[in-house]
Amino acid sequence: MLLFGLDLDYVAAIVLFCVGLYMLVAKSNLLKKLLGLNVMETAVFAFIVTAGMIEGGDPPIMVQGTSAPFASPIPHAMVLTGIVVAVSVTAVALALIVQIHAHYGTIEVDELKELP
Amino acid sequence: MRPWSLLLVALVALPLIVGVAGLPRHDAPDAPIHTHVGTRYLERGVAETGFKNMVTAVLLNYRGFDTFVEVVVIFTALAAVLALPRGETADPDHAPGQRAPADDATGAPEPGDDAVATAAVPATSGPRDGSDAGRAHEVVPVSPVVLFVVRILAPFLSMFALAMLFRGHITPGGGFQAAAVFGAVFIALGLVFGLGRVARLMPTGLQPWLQAAGPLAFVFVAWFGWRLTGFFLGFPIDDHTTQEGMGFVLEVAIGVGGGVILARLFLSMEA
Repeated sequence: MLLFGLDLDYVAAIVLFCVGLYMLVAKSNLLKKLLGLNVMETAVFAFIVTAGMIEGGDPPIMVQGTSAPFASPIPHAMVLTGIVVAVSVTAVALALIVQIHAHYGTIEVDELKELP
Repeated sequence: MRPWSLLLVALVALPLIVGVAGLPRHDAPDAPIHTHVGTRYLERGVAETGFKNMVTAVLLNYRGFDTFVEVVVIFTALAAVLALPRGETADPDHAPGQRAPADDATGAPEPGDDAVATAAVPATSGPRDGSDAGRAHEVVPVSPVVLFVVRILAPFLSMFALAMLFRGHITPGGGFQAAAVFGAVFIALGLVFGLGRVARLMPTGLQPWLQAAGPLAFVFVAWFGWRLTGFFLGFPIDDHTTQEGMGFVLEVAIGVGGGVILARLFLSMEA
């Protein structure tokens, strides 16, 4: 589906990416920043998986009932890697946020800056 | 702060839009993504790897090193999270009355907490005994609806995870997906029945081995492949049964290890 000559699926991924980026830079709550980062990651995954699709394609599983054309398997595998990295980053960041909260009692960047 | 953020977002969005405009249509059959190495995998993947699911073939066979390091990454993340100092409050003035002195998730709760937890949970809420239902700073009454739904869903979710693990070779699914569902089951049960209770589901002695299951299985299979083919993580190209067996070991290890790691990550957040 096209929108001003642009692929609407790609544009959706970009919009999602920008929403995440805005959350990342505009919010002062660390948790919201992390959510923004996750939204950005999701946008990238959606973009890559979308790029691997093919018109009228089947999932790339060679069993009875599927036939060519097949969706490209590489983006799927790449995105799996990306998701694992995203989970790891999220986990470490969350643990750090928990620590920051335990030490300073706040996770607002504004308030953290003012601490001595 | 806000206008600058919007400007930054616009500055990032513009080149992205311009770049996307130059890409081929996303489902076009003649896009480069469908004319390069992906096509070769699709044409010869079954003959070369023995896997019917090409995503699994790419993941474990063609790009096995990538997956090897991937499981090491998530294991490292768990190690990093567990290595952080836990439950320290440097300056109590900054955190007035926020948290009771937190003990470990598996530790014995204090008597005072017992009373709070029991009061917060409806008496009709089934098997929850309140002994480890949470500490004073986080006691939230569990809605009976949530309790009921989680109890009903948990076995089906576990079955779904197992199905994805063991039927992943002919249906969409696989080790990582199963791990995500396993982890979700643990987290849902932990939220409803108390984290300490769920933590006890995993035997302490076995836990480090389960957490390291992914990397360990990869090392073992890589060594096995090296003995068979002379290449690290090599798969014997003619022997489909052996290839599928090696893939099965890896998938199970990824599924179990990943699920345990996800659950442990969640438990560790509650320091």
